[in-house]
Amino acid sequence: MNGKTFFIDQTRCTACRGCQAACKQWKNNGYTETSNTGSYQNPPDLNAQTFKLVRFNEVEVDGVLKWLFFPEQCRHCLVPSCKMAADAQLPGAILQDEATGAVLYTEKTAKVDYRMVREACPYDIPRLDAATGRIYKCNMCIDRVQQGMQPACVQTCPTDTMHFGDRDTMMRLALQRLQEVQQRTPTALLADSEAVRVLYLCEQPPQYYHGYMVADSGRVFKHNGPLVAGVSRRKVLGL
Amino acid sequence: MKRRTFIQAMVAGGAVSAFGGLGINLSRAAQQTEAFKLDKATITTSICCYCAVGCGILVWSNPQTKRAINIEGDPDHPTNGGTLCPKGASMWQTTENPRRVTSVLYRAPGSSQWEEKSWDWALPRIAQKIKDTRDKGFETKNAKGQTVNRTTAIASVGSAALDTEEGWLYQAILRSLGMVYIESHARI
Repeated sequence: MNGKTFFIDQTRCTACRGCQAACKQWKNNGYTETSNTGSYQNPPDLNAQTFKLVRFNEVEVDGVLKWLFFPEQCRHCLVPSCKMAADAQLPGAILQDEATGAVLYTEKTAKVDYRMVREACPYDIPRLDAATGRIYKCNMCIDRVQQGMQPACVQTCPTDTMHFGDRDTMMRLALQRLQEVQQRTPTALLADSEAVRVLYLCEQPPQYYHGYMVADSGRVFKHNGPLVAGVSRRKVLGL
Repeated sequence: MKRRTFIQAMVAGGAVSAFGGLGINLSRAAQQTEAFKLDKATITTSICCYCAVGCGILVWSNPQTKRAINIEGDPDHPTNGGTLCPKGASMWQTTENPRRVTSVLYRAPGSSQWEEKSWDWALPRIAQKIKDTRDKGFETKNAKGQTVNRTTAIASVGSAALDTEEGWLYQAILRSLGMVYIESHARI
């Protein structure tokens, strides 16, 4: 059993933000007061009420404007460094579900040092709820998945960007689509696909989408091995 | 926190993993899950209340309180196959939201205040205003002397969310008033 995995085909995303709304709705997460920042990216960042955020980025590639959309969420790392950071303080604060591989934050995260958990995350995902002290992020809709349903974000996606299923199936689907996209853009890649349960297909260089599209170097644990601090991401992932 | 302390903690975490297995029983993750919120809920099919695409939806509601618990796309519906756009995906809030407007609000001309009014007050008043405006702007003949029997003083914008029968009824009302400016808000 290799657990579950998302495949997010960013070449199809139109940034409708259905995933962001569906996530909020399923989890009954409240609104965030924001102001107009000049971007459709709203709220401007993930927070304790926003586990899924579509990031908008404008870059110039070979003199052509590219408007890139990045439906950001927890990657559910195969070896979650946030869990290791939390286990060092309070085992059981962060759990990894055996069947799916989902990384789950419990109410015990209120007793864990938030900065330590957030800094351990190579993708800068965990966020603090200032009122309760709890740390929040995407939980793979574990309640839905255990009932045989798709995560809310995947269920609602109208453009076939979001996919979810057994890891092997998703990996096959992702590689197949990657090959198609590479016909027109040979440099297209699947970001950190060997280390995470969310496979982002990037047609443009990953950093054009977001600084944390790929793991921040120095924040990664070596897959199935001891802690390697400061080692380059490429080395860790064998790229 | 200094990077050194951070790394020390990481190493400690790694040691726990190396010598104590994972340190916790992973099956606890499943026990953490609360009772599934759609358990015992009634499922009703409906159509999205927004645009003209008419996506099929499923509404899960609590049979006791009769309140909606969850709304999402209907996987069996040919239009959307279970998907919904952000507007549709947030439809639950059209019924379950403390900020929802549940009574008629009226702002008198020149006033900056909203007043709460009853439907019994509002409906006859709307009807009267429509009748007055229509009568004042009614043209029986155009500049060429042709019979037109129309009013250009009122326009209608809507409604993409009507079904066929409702659409017919709405058209019949508008045409009987002599209205010619009739548009669907789906095109705005």
